[in-house]
Amino acid sequence: MADTNPIKQFEVHTVEFFGRELHFELFGYDLSFTNSSFFMVLTSVLTIVLFSTAMGRRATIPSRSQSVAEIIYGFVADMLRSTAGSDALRFFPFVFTLFIFILVANMLGMFPYFPAPGWHSFTITSHIIVTAALAMMVWLTVLVYGLFKNGPKFFKLFVPSGVPMYILPFVTLIEIISFISRPISHSVRLFANMLAGHILLKVFAGFIVMLAAPEALGALGYAVGVLPFAMTLALTALEFLVAFLQAYVFAILTCIYLSDALHPGH
Amino acid sequence: MPINQSCEDNTLSDPSKSDLEALQQRIDAQREARRAKTQDEPRSAWSLGMRYGSEFFAGVFVGSALGFIIDLVAGSSPWGLVIGTMFGFASGTLNVVRAAKEINSETSGES
Repeated sequence: MADTNPIKQFEVHTVEFFGRELHFELFGYDLSFTNSSFFMVLTSVLTIVLFSTAMGRRATIPSRSQSVAEIIYGFVADMLRSTAGSDALRFFPFVFTLFIFILVANMLGMFPYFPAPGWHSFTITSHIIVTAALAMMVWLTVLVYGLFKNGPKFFKLFVPSGVPMYILPFVTLIEIISFISRPISHSVRLFANMLAGHILLKVFAGFIVMLAAPEALGALGYAVGVLPFAMTLALTALEFLVAFLQAYVFAILTCIYLSDALHPGH
Repeated sequence: MPINQSCEDNTLSDPSKSDLEALQQRIDAQREARRAKTQDEPRSAWSLGMRYGSEFFAGVFVGSALGFIIDLVAGSSPWGLVIGTMFGFASGTLNVVRAAKEINSETSGES
């Protein structure tokens, strides 16, 4: 019987390179090249290759691939402009990189089988350490750039205007906690969505395998197995939507947070 | 090519400011239309729920973690944790209210 463990897909294991496992330790930390690293490298390389081939000709009348690249560019630029203002466009490379990285990583995770180590796909955004690193990057950018640009005026972010003096300390404390909680909610959202969606997908796919197993129900199993198959099909479509939507949500929240760094006190 | 030239002269004669302004207006109108279209992104109820849930969770988590750290440093257990969790609750609620405001303003086309 095929393996129906729904969380086996999230296992991180070292990559075998020509029959040899690559172990690499630094200061007592295991820094081997894993399947997670493989998919991160693949995501970056794939993005660079796709975009440079799409934009390679730079035609005035764009080809199909070029117009896709231009639409993605315009989409992110519009998003940044409408949520954080035109002066936020200096962060465009950052937001665009985040959006594309998460989008491509999510889409690569949608492959059930993949010519990768272990022959299975791996969704790097389903590990909280990856999304937490991305969210911390955004948060630190907001903090450092906000302090650098606005100086002490940045702290107006924590002191809302029009609040009576006697509850101001409490409100300020609540605002500070709310600010600190941003990277957590930012990262947990992406991670939990990808994790839950992929587990759900594998659980329903596992039902098909269990029902179709020869020692289970025989011909009846095949007939009933159509139901989880239909469910898996529908969930796959939903997962593609979620994969795009979460990349979009991550990027738009980045824009909203960056807008705080640019214009605190709003 | 006299014919061709006259044609060009007709279309491009006097590329005055009013022409450029008309073009700019057309571009702006197009942009506005595009923006209005990109505003209503597909939202699934699942992702909406996830959003509110994670916002609230993060507030409570950070509040109680801060309280716990204060306890460890000041040795005031369990009061730091208790009060921190309460403040975390408040900031979690604030997060949810903010998220709801953002989502509402996005869908109604404001902001």
